[in-house]
Amino acid sequence: MPVIPVAGSEDFANVPTSPTETRRIVGDAVRLHDVDQSVIDNLDPLTYEVVRHRLTSVTEEMGEALKRMSGSVVVTDCNDFDAAIMDEVGDVVQVGLYNTELAASLDMAANWTLRHRATRPGIGPGDMFLCNDPWVGGGLHQNDVSLFAPLFIGGELFAWTGAVAHQVDLGGVSPGSWSVGAADVFWESTPIPPVKIVEAGEIRDDIEDMYLRRSRVPKLVALDLRAKIGANNVAHDRLRALCEKYGAPTVKAVMRRVLNDAESRLRAKLRELPDGSWSSVAHQDSARSGDRGIYKIICTLTKSDDQLVFDFTGTDPQVDGLINCTYAGLRGGIMPVLLTTVCGDIPWAPGGLYRCVEIISEPGTINNCTFPSGIGKASVASAWATTNVVTECLAGMLDAHPEHRQRLMSVCCGTWDFALLAGVDQRGSGFVTMLCDSMAGGLGARTHSDGVDTGGLACIPMGRVADVEMNEFSFPMLYLWRREEADSGGPGRYRGGVGASSCFIPYDSPLGGVHLVVSAPGKALPLAGGLSGGLPAGTQHDVLLRGTTVRADFASGRIPSTLGELGGQTEVLPTHHETDLGASDVYFTHWQGGGGYGDPLLREPEAVAADVIAHKVTRDAANEVYGVPLTTDGRVDEAATEARRSALRLSRAGLTEARQEINA
Amino acid sequence: MRLFIDDNLEQHDNGQVTCRQCDQVLGDAQSQLRDARVTETEPQTVGPSVRESPTLFADRPVILRRSFCPQCLTLLQAEIVPADEPSVRHRSLSVKP
Amino acid sequence: MAYVIGIDIGGTFTDAFAASEAGRVAATKTPSTPPDFSQGFLSVLDDLADLLGISRRELLADTHYIVHGTTSTLNALVTGDVATVGFLTTRGHAGSIAIMNLEGRYAGLGSDQVQDMVLTNKPKPLVPPQLIRELDERIDHKGAEVVALDEAGTRTAIRELVAAGAQAIAVSLLWSFRNDAHERRVGQLIAEEAPDLYVALSCDVSPRIREYARSATTIMNTQVGPRLRNYLRPLEAELRERGFGGSLLVMQGSGGCVDSSDAPSRAITTIGSVLTGGVVGCTRMAEALGHRNVISTDMGGTTFLAGLVVDGEPVATTSTVLNQYQLNVPMVDVHTIGAGGGAIAWIDAGRNLRVGPRSAGARPGPACYGDGGTEPTVSDVDLLLGIINPDNFLGGRKKLSKDLAAGAVRTHLAGPLGLSVDDAAAAVYAIQNAQTADLVRKVVVTSGQDPRDFVLYAFGGAGPMHCASYAADLEVAEVVVPLGATAAVFSAYGLAASDIVLTAELSSPSNFPAPVEEFNAAFAHLRSELEDRLAAQKLHFAEVGYRNEADMRYTLQLAEVATPVPTEPVDVAGLQGIGNGFGELYERLYGKGSGFAEAGLQLITYRTRAVGVLPIRPLLAEINPGAGDPKPASIRRVFLDARRGWQDADIYDYRDLAAGHELKGPAVVEAPTTTVALPEGCIGRVDRLGNLVIRYTQA
Repeated sequence: MPVIPVAGSEDFANVPTSPTETRRIVGDAVRLHDVDQSVIDNLDPLTYEVVRHRLTSVTEEMGEALKRMSGSVVVTDCNDFDAAIMDEVGDVVQVGLYNTELAASLDMAANWTLRHRATRPGIGPGDMFLCNDPWVGGGLHQNDVSLFAPLFIGGELFAWTGAVAHQVDLGGVSPGSWSVGAADVFWESTPIPPVKIVEAGEIRDDIEDMYLRRSRVPKLVALDLRAKIGANNVAHDRLRALCEKYGAPTVKAVMRRVLNDAESRLRAKLRELPDGSWSSVAHQDSARSGDRGIYKIICTLTKSDDQLVFDFTGTDPQVDGLINCTYAGLRGGIMPVLLTTVCGDIPWAPGGLYRCVEIISEPGTINNCTFPSGIGKASVASAWATTNVVTECLAGMLDAHPEHRQRLMSVCCGTWDFALLAGVDQRGSGFVTMLCDSMAGGLGARTHSDGVDTGGLACIPMGRVADVEMNEFSFPMLYLWRREEADSGGPGRYRGGVGASSCFIPYDSPLGGVHLVVSAPGKALPLAGGLSGGLPAGTQHDVLLRGTTVRADFASGRIPSTLGELGGQTEVLPTHHETDLGASDVYFTHWQGGGGYGDPLLREPEAVAADVIAHKVTRDAANEVYGVPLTTDGRVDEAATEARRSALRLSRAGLTEARQEINA
Repeated sequence: MRLFIDDNLEQHDNGQVTCRQCDQVLGDAQSQLRDARVTETEPQTVGPSVRESPTLFADRPVILRRSFCPQCLTLLQAEIVPADEPSVRHRSLSVKP
Repeated sequence: MAYVIGIDIGGTFTDAFAASEAGRVAATKTPSTPPDFSQGFLSVLDDLADLLGISRRELLADTHYIVHGTTSTLNALVTGDVATVGFLTTRGHAGSIAIMNLEGRYAGLGSDQVQDMVLTNKPKPLVPPQLIRELDERIDHKGAEVVALDEAGTRTAIRELVAAGAQAIAVSLLWSFRNDAHERRVGQLIAEEAPDLYVALSCDVSPRIREYARSATTIMNTQVGPRLRNYLRPLEAELRERGFGGSLLVMQGSGGCVDSSDAPSRAITTIGSVLTGGVVGCTRMAEALGHRNVISTDMGGTTFLAGLVVDGEPVATTSTVLNQYQLNVPMVDVHTIGAGGGAIAWIDAGRNLRVGPRSAGARPGPACYGDGGTEPTVSDVDLLLGIINPDNFLGGRKKLSKDLAAGAVRTHLAGPLGLSVDDAAAAVYAIQNAQTADLVRKVVVTSGQDPRDFVLYAFGGAGPMHCASYAADLEVAEVVVPLGATAAVFSAYGLAASDIVLTAELSSPSNFPAPVEEFNAAFAHLRSELEDRLAAQKLHFAEVGYRNEADMRYTLQLAEVATPVPTEPVDVAGLQGIGNGFGELYERLYGKGSGFAEAGLQLITYRTRAVGVLPIRPLLAEINPGAGDPKPASIRRVFLDARRGWQDADIYDYRDLAAGHELKGPAVVEAPTTTVALPEGCIGRVDRLGNLVIRYTQA
């Protein structure tokens, strides 16, 4: 059924609006704080540094508060949340080191709220707004629920603080709210545009009920709501104290200067880099269950002088499925790479950094979709694919500079390997949880060293995988293994970091089994490409084995360590799948590594030998891909290596000895 | 002034792009891999990292496209993409006057 | 005449302190003697005997116990100079210590480094692949056996590890804390196959859920256990040879010590011991001065450390990070929060003035040292502002150059920013203090405390030059700078003043409330284990105290909160009370309204701490009282406060001061090991122990 445009959805199709325009629209409805240019100009270095340092501390405290208070494993372990301090019009002054994708959308939500909620219901002290509508902003898909709060000082709206975190379930056809069969957003959790859930310091029960009613796990979602309220309260207390000590004009002047500073430092770095253009592509396979399409996002990055233009012309149109993302997702796809590879040594003040960035993108494309396209997976589908293509483009730009190339990475783990379990746990309680083992993706190779094995995800500088024991305590499951997977890192002169796999059975549930929702692309083709002759990382591999011998194996004193040993019927899972895992079934999920850098035949043979000993590369791959045939005790045979590499150079280029002679 | 574009490519003031391993001319600033030797093969030829045949998951054919220096056969670029998509992985750096 | 002795062996210096029951004290310091630190240990005992005017044999015969603190365990782990360890674990899970829950890539790094993500890396693997073997065996979450232990396979694995060069073996099997039968059996098999090998089982070292940290802890324990055993045994034998009849005790990171016969099997607990001496000393000082809550700060040349004492007890943590590995080691919670006097002031790419975190360290050191340092540091600024006397630094042992300091500031800061050298120096001083205050406040607040309820103690060579300023920002009640006889060897004093502290814990995760019988049985088990271990210390205790706590959380949260539990068995109502206590503690830490009991509570780990109070408590020496006002030794211009600029300040020589003397800022007190800066608006009073106590009379 074709996606039918919904009249009135234009009101929610948000694009960033300038401070001047915002003030004009808001008019007298809310008094917005401002500061004179002279105060900014007269800031002394001491005050600037002290106040700036304190602003950073505040976002750290917000993030720590969120982590500790949340009951959501996605927050606590996956770090799928963020916190930010924004100025009075919503520009982000300081963002936390958590999920950097989310740094790109809090500003949009706060700003939209100013323009659309200044009257009816109005914005006043003690108010907090909740939003999970990714067309407006706040987050990248409905699971990302943002809570942002205006801080009033002296009767003026001085700043906004915001906290956003992924909630594990907010309704929709499939548990986890990623309806793998979705054709459009109406299959999914219905987005909530900004609504005032806290009024003058008190939670509004009617709004809270409306929000929680849609979730399969309302108690956990309520806990997280309080965590977000707590984080905003902490931030407001600190900011108020800061203004009392230094004066609101000074603190605002520091905020302005932080933005200007970030902008000018990014511009300075851009000027050091050669002008040019770099284009690349990122793919995703399958838009929904049963779909066998492959979709592309194309990006051409052009740098002239100190300005970056990301042009997504050529990107596929939006699709029937859950993998589209909105403009917030597009911005959110660019931000992580910009922050980690170009701004590693520049303050993370997106409000200033965005001034150096222009985005060309057509609404109606897969990473700039219109309502009511399906977006349940947006953050890890089209937004993530946007990150992948932008990674390659920015890496190309950095590679041309002798110093800045230190900070480029090939594409990291190409996607999020989503595995959601639901059912009844060992203690008889209902549960829904996303398995976060796949946080341990491989990072992309660098120009000077391998990518970090099971090092994490590109968009999340920190992050955690829950211990096997903690998962086995919390949920009815038992792991046969969790281990790094050889050959999953993209081969190269520098190897991409390996990914890993988990293999488990349902265990001890009163129902005997668990419900499983799987959504993980990268099966028809790998999603983490290599650079400069480096090869892509391995493909995603999810296998369900039905009716295995695993219980008999246990009884006979063995733990199987390969799929082959398990017997039963093998189902290689497509990208999207929803099913039930029975008592004799086994689920194996193998997530992705990072892309390689440089020709694998140029990798130091000793490094390849060490890789094989450490189970990062198999002997076969050492021989076939790296051209390093090892002795029986795993050591390098230099003569054999030279011969093998000569032969491989010819055969992989489709040449024989004879043809090479002709060329010479 | 020498400008290294990446691990394998170098751009010269006259706009020529050469192979860093063997100095072979490969192209120019606008078309860096113009003269590269390009092959297209089944994705599984890349090695054990492609775990299953793409035909299991997608209808469009998928290929491994590799570009080599025609002289020393160093691998300059590799991608696994749908066969019907021409390569969009291009770069061009402006030549300093 | 009964003596107690504390000996703290650091990388550079060995400090020693002896006190008799009657109140005689002796303190001394000597350079450490790597690679055989025991030489320094023995020679410092001789020095103490000389100071006390008795023979070495007399001293040792009369000494009840010697408490030994050392950095050697920590150094060994940091440098990798450790035993070769083989690792045995459950089939399918050897990857745990490589995956490191992924957080190993950034654990322990500052936010500047975390942000620079592309340059982060995981540390070296704990155990190389050829020294790891997986065993067919499996216990489940309830403690039931799912797969029997493959004994034949285990024997083969043990033999292979020995053949591969293992000098010691660490065993960590899944869920062993629930059911240790398999680990114990593996331990027996190792004893049969390789009787001389040092073995550590995770169910002994760290029976706590979460296999990654448990395995890392067990492996690291095994890496340093043999060395500690091989160091302590001959040392104790030599002491006995020399007439020592008492106990040799080893300091742990938890703030207490343990008998040397017990220490090697739990060697990993000694890694924090170099810091804990100071914290224990601080706790005793607080007792003596009647302070319940203390923020302890220690600012040296390279680092700034902060710890808390709350209600008379050091705040402890149950985990720590070393070499980016997560370890389950109860530690006094000491935060390394920045650089010390050697912190470099610099201008970043945005032309902003920054201080730290990079440090000039000991080499090349601050520019004013004249040892080749060219970048301006906090110490250079302290010199330029008149706080440090270039001719009286370290008692005159090191001459400093104002010219070099001024040059560094001019070249790197003042010039580029268009400021005068004075203004640039003043800005650096103020930024350092504000930053320090921020970081200390964070430590206090994240513990759920309010700095205004605390007194701040300032230790270290550089701390007292800054403490009046950074403490003012925190609004603490008063600031104490320890300057008495024990100040120079404060950590050794702390060692001598410490008690036996043993911790036992056991993870038994369940929904809360658990059945009352189970709950009480768990603590009874821990209590009994501790009673046995206390008896094995073979010491006479003045008293024995126990404290129970339970790590609890709202369902599925990341981390637990250690919740106090009564030491007597509880009933159903009592359990309810504990749950309420968790809720209150939670709200205190994370804010009102943040708790949500409807999400359900879970209890994860039971823990009991036993303190065996040792009978001799060395007293801090008092100094003579003085009459009248103290006389300043000189006057010089100093810059201590941006609002007041340069002022004439009274300069006092510490040796001229007596108990009861009061000094008004602006003033500077020069002492043998440090300098104290008193801005205007502060009054410093010398207390009976010789400390300088600073109060604020005006903002």
